Order: sequence, then C-alpha cells, then structure tokens
Amino acid sequence: METKFDVVVVGAGPAGASAAYTAARHGLKVLLVERGRGAGSKQVFGGRVYAAPLREIYEDFDKEAPIHRWVRKERVSLVHGDRMVTFEYESDRTVSFTTYLTQLTSWMVEKAVSAGAIFVDEVRVDSIVRDDAGKVIGVESGGERVYADIVVDAEGVNRLLLEKLGLAEKTRPSQVALGVKEVVKVGEDKINERFGVAPGEGVSWVLTGDVTGNMPGGAFIYTNKDTVSIGVVVYLESAVNMVKEPIHILVEKLRTHPSLSRLWADGDVMEYAARLTPESGYRYMPRKLATHGLMVAGDAAGLLLNTGYTFRGVDYAALSGYMAGNAAVKALEEGDTGEENLRRLYEKPLLESFIVRDLKRHRGIEWLMSNPEFFKKYPALATGVACRLFDLEGEAPTVYEALRSSASDQGLSLLRLVLDMFRVVRKL
Amino acid sequence: MALRVIVGIKWVPNTQAVRFDPKTGTLIREGVPSIVNPHDLDAVELALQLKERYGAKVTAISMAPPSAVKGLEHVIGMGVDDAILISDRVFAGSDTLATSYVIAQTLKRIGDFNLALFGQETIDSSTAHIPAQVAGWLELPYIYYVDRIEDLDLEQNVVTVRRILEDRLEWYKLKMPAILGVAMKSQKPRPVSIYNKLRVRMENPIKVWSNKELGLDPRCLGLKGSPTLVTKVTWTPEVPRKKQVIEGPPGEAVKKLVEKLCGEGVLPFEC
Repeated sequence: METKFDVVVVGAGPAGASAAYTAARHGLKVLLVERGRGAGSKQVFGGRVYAAPLREIYEDFDKEAPIHRWVRKERVSLVHGDRMVTFEYESDRTVSFTTYLTQLTSWMVEKAVSAGAIFVDEVRVDSIVRDDAGKVIGVESGGERVYADIVVDAEGVNRLLLEKLGLAEKTRPSQVALGVKEVVKVGEDKINERFGVAPGEGVSWVLTGDVTGNMPGGAFIYTNKDTVSIGVVVYLESAVNMVKEPIHILVEKLRTHPSLSRLWADGDVMEYAARLTPESGYRYMPRKLATHGLMVAGDAAGLLLNTGYTFRGVDYAALSGYMAGNAAVKALEEGDTGEENLRRLYEKPLLESFIVRDLKRHRGIEWLMSNPEFFKKYPALATGVACRLFDLEGEAPTVYEALRSSASDQGLSLLRLVLDMFRVVRKL
Repeated sequence: MALRVIVGIKWVPNTQAVRFDPKTGTLIREGVPSIVNPHDLDAVELALQLKERYGAKVTAISMAPPSAVKGLEHVIGMGVDDAILISDRVFAGSDTLATSYVIAQTLKRIGDFNLALFGQETIDSSTAHIPAQVAGWLELPYIYYVDRIEDLDLEQNVVTVRRILEDRLEWYKLKMPAILGVAMKSQKPRPVSIYNKLRVRMENPIKVWSNKELGLDPRCLGLKGSPTLVTKVTWTPEVPRKKQVIEGPPGEAVKKLVEKLCGEGVLPFEC
C-alpha cells in the first residue's frame, strides 16, 4: 500500500480541515487524521464564528455552510444578584453567525474530502516522527508509521504531540481557562419571540459578575437555530484558588438565573460540554510555528482571542490552517520543506496577519483576569448605580450622586474608580 | 483451503445515550449516534485472533441501512479483511426471524465459510435469537457463550471451542461450517489501526448487497416476513432528578439532608 503522503494533517478541527482542504484542492496528496469518531466529535466552543476568514477560504461558504443564525444583537451585561445592566448593539450585517461547531467542521471536512483529501477518524496519532537530522518525516499511530513531506499539527489546545517534540511547554493552569457549557432546546419560534429576533437572526451575549461566582471570567449566551448555548468560562488559576462550588453548578445557576431563565423556560438540556482554552493566545504560542517538515495551526498555535467582550478562535484556526495549506503547496513546489522556508512561507505571514496582531493587542485581558476584585465590585457598582437611578421610590438622585453612593458601598473611591475605568478602557 | 470466517455486525443506537419519551413510551433516537453493537466487537476480536493464528480471511456482514457503512469501516479498521452491507428497503421492519433468514441466505451465497461468529446478543434488543436462528435455517451446529477457540483442525474440518457458563467451563467439538455465539465481554476488542483505516479509503473493501443480489422471496422479508407482534411495551418511568444544594457547615447540612430524605420517605428506617 502507498503510505507516503505529501501532507499529513493531525486533527480534523477547523484548522486541520482547512489545511487539508487547501492543500488537496491544489492537487496535493493529503491525509487528514482525527482521533474522535467523525469530524469534530470532540470539539466544544462557545457558539459564534466570524465569517470573513471562512469566506476567503471556502468559496461556497455563504451558500453551503451550516449557519444557524447571523448575530444581529451583541449584548454585554454586568450581573449582580438578580440585577443586571446590559449594553446592546444592534446591526443587520452578516459578520458573525452561530452554529454547532461539529456541523461546521463536518462541512469543512466534507469539502476537504471532495477536494481529494483522505480522511480517517478514530485514529490517534501517538507521535510526530523525525529523522536523525530532526526533519519531520511523518506520524506514528499504534506502532505504525505514515510518511509525509509535511505534517500539519492541528491537534488542538491540549498539545501532547508538540510537548513530545519539545516545541511547547506543558500547559500550566495559569495559562488556560475552563469553559463549561450547556445546550438547551427551546424551539425556533420561542427563541425568535423571547430574544426579539427575526428568523435567521440571533443574539450573542457576554455576561460577567456573580454569574461566574465573582471569579475572573465570564458567562455567555448564544442563540442557535432551535437551541440556546449557555456557559461559563473561568480562569483555572482563580478557579483553583477561589472556587467554592463545582463549575458546572455555575452553569446551572446561570440556567436558573431569575432574570434569564425565562428565555429558555421549559427547555430541555440536550448536552453538557467542557473544554480548556488558552487564556492569552499570544503567550500560549509555541516558540516556533514551523520546523523542518512541520507547521502548527489552530489552538495548538495559541490562536485564540478573548477580548473580554468577545471570543474568537474558530475563524483564526481555519485561517491559520488555510495559510499552512498554502505554505505546503508553495514549499513542495519549491522543493524546500526546511525550517527556514516553512517559517518564511507560514510563520512570517501568520505573525504579520491580523490574527497575531489581535492577539498581541488584547494581551491586557491577562491583567484584567488577574484582578478578581474587578469581577466582584464593578458589576455590583453598575447595578447599584442603575438601581439608584431607575428604581425610584422617593427622591431621584443625580447620576453623580448615584455613582458616588454606589461606589462607597463597594469601598471604591471616586479616584480609584476613574483610574480603574481608564485602565480597563486602555487595556481592552 | 484457507480458513474463511464470517462475523455478523449489528448497527445499533447507543443505548446508553438513548432516552425514553415518557409520554409515548418510545425511544428518542433523534440525535443519538449509532455504534457497532459492543458485544459484536468480541466476535470481531475472536475472528481476528483466528486470522493471526490460522491466516483466516475475515468478512464482516451487516444487515442495516446504508449509514451502517460507518460500523463496517470501524471493524475493517480493526483488521477485518472486507465487508458486505446487506441493505434494501424490503428488509426494513424485519423481526429476528426475517433477519436471521436474510443473514442465513447471505451466508449461503458467500458459500465457502468455515465459521460464522456473532455477538451473543445486541444491546438494543437483547433477544440473542440471531445466531441460533441462522444455525437453524442452515441446519448447522451452533454453540453459544463461546469465549475461546481451543483448536481448529482444517483437515478433519473440526473446531474445538470453550463455552463459559456461570459456574463451569465446557468444551465442544463441532463439525465445520459452524455458527458460534461469542460470550459477552469475553475478549478485549483491539483499537482501529491507521493502516487498516487507510485501506477502507483506498481499497474499497465494502460491498453492498441488496435483494437484487440475494433474490429472496419478499413474503419472507420485512414486516411481511415477521410474525412477531409487539403487544405491549412497559418501562420504568423516569423519576425526574431534583438537584438541591444544601448550604452550611457539613454537620448541619447532613442533618438537613437526612431530614429532607425522611420527609420524602426514602430512608429505610424511622426518623
């Protein structure tokens, strides 16, 4: 049997599938290997994907991709007890959409297969194989080797293969956040009605405050076609130090929250899921994104962004896979898969792309996440101000009075408040 | 003549993931992934051991809708040589009698097999009818709860098998061809390997036989060929779980918990 491929891609997520698709449609002989059963069976994400990069990779994206709802409403809420202050932005552009990641990835893998890639699932790659000179020459699974000129490592956030190669350090709790999520079946019409959206339109909602048990992190709500995804993301280090109850209880509290539960009342919980995400993608990046015969894409490369008000990862992953696929095509054309050439063809454009610029730009989130009191005091402050301004039973205070008295409840001086606000605005 | 082993596979809903609809009493199969009946994997493993020991050619067969190709791909990934998917709308709705008839006729058409191995039963219906009925249709010897092939004599055309029962082991010699029901959890089914999975993609080892190939009398197939009547289904109604968190120091919380349980009358003693 012929067991040498031009490209072997490890991991059939958005990054791996896009790499396989891109390389295969340029005529390369591609093998895409996935550990789980079927494409994307182990994947978890919040619920929203930005479309622009996918439009660039997949010509038929708008026509074919499994899009549940285009996000029309962006909400950010500060929650304290049963009070909540919410900002909402509404637009009717098709910028980002909700979907099930498994559906989206399955579609990407189908595209890769129809472009000629070979896809095998239920196969775990145990290691990436190098020759004596350190050149990557293939992968090993269950004692069997499959050879390739180029390996694309898209193994995901838990990068056992890269660790074995010595390209990535062992993941430390301070580097990652834990996301726990539930999918609640509500029904399409009920979602339209309760969230005030038209068919095909959806809501992306980020919440912070005591919905995370006041731990650094946030909660999210996304409307899918007939289900709602809800979840909580907490930073593992704080979770270890501050957690008073299991994290899945936080999701349950979110689901039963007095101001929110009516949105999915009578819904059935269809699914629970959990995953790790890098807290700061930039810091999670391996030392090199390419070595002789190897490129690293997607979460394994740390390409995940948390700005505090939105999460991005799927489109970055897909785009990095696309770039790796293109780089593979060029490198094989040039007959040079050496480290220098792959870094020139893949790592350099990736580092110069908006992805890595974004990751660098939003490193401030780390600072915010290391300030737990923010997650306690400011949601309480905001709801305190709103309560004084709107829940009028007698005198109506001025905004300044409401702010001052609410701040003093939280033990915050006005000077401290102004400084903190300035820092938050600057860092985010 | 080389040894030829057939192994029967059923493509079943993962019953651990299936929930009951308490209103209708039917299974909610929506969104539940199907799997190869886990007990069949014991039969596959035993067949693959025969491949290693005697160079047997192993063919998997499954009577199922086209989606069962995934299951056959899985067992080829484990090392099975090739597979036949027996798939036709006229087979739909078959009970165990009609199913065993189709499988028996498939075996007849394959012809030159020495052993046909089946999982002892399936997790979705647990009748354990199929291997026995197949043996009945073909008038072949049949032993169930087999956990080991002790010896295989191709010259004499005799197989010696061990049967595992609750309190004893028994040994049988059978004339081949023979049908074996493989004891549940008697083997450790091997994982799929990357080369075998690649074979699935590159060599096309799965054939599909419809009733065109088998040419069976439609009166013996599907609902028409199925005398079984399901007259009543009962099930244990699911008690909805109440998740309650009792706050407070452990001593007090336990006290409250015991009081609550007493109130619900679930403790076996007077409180």
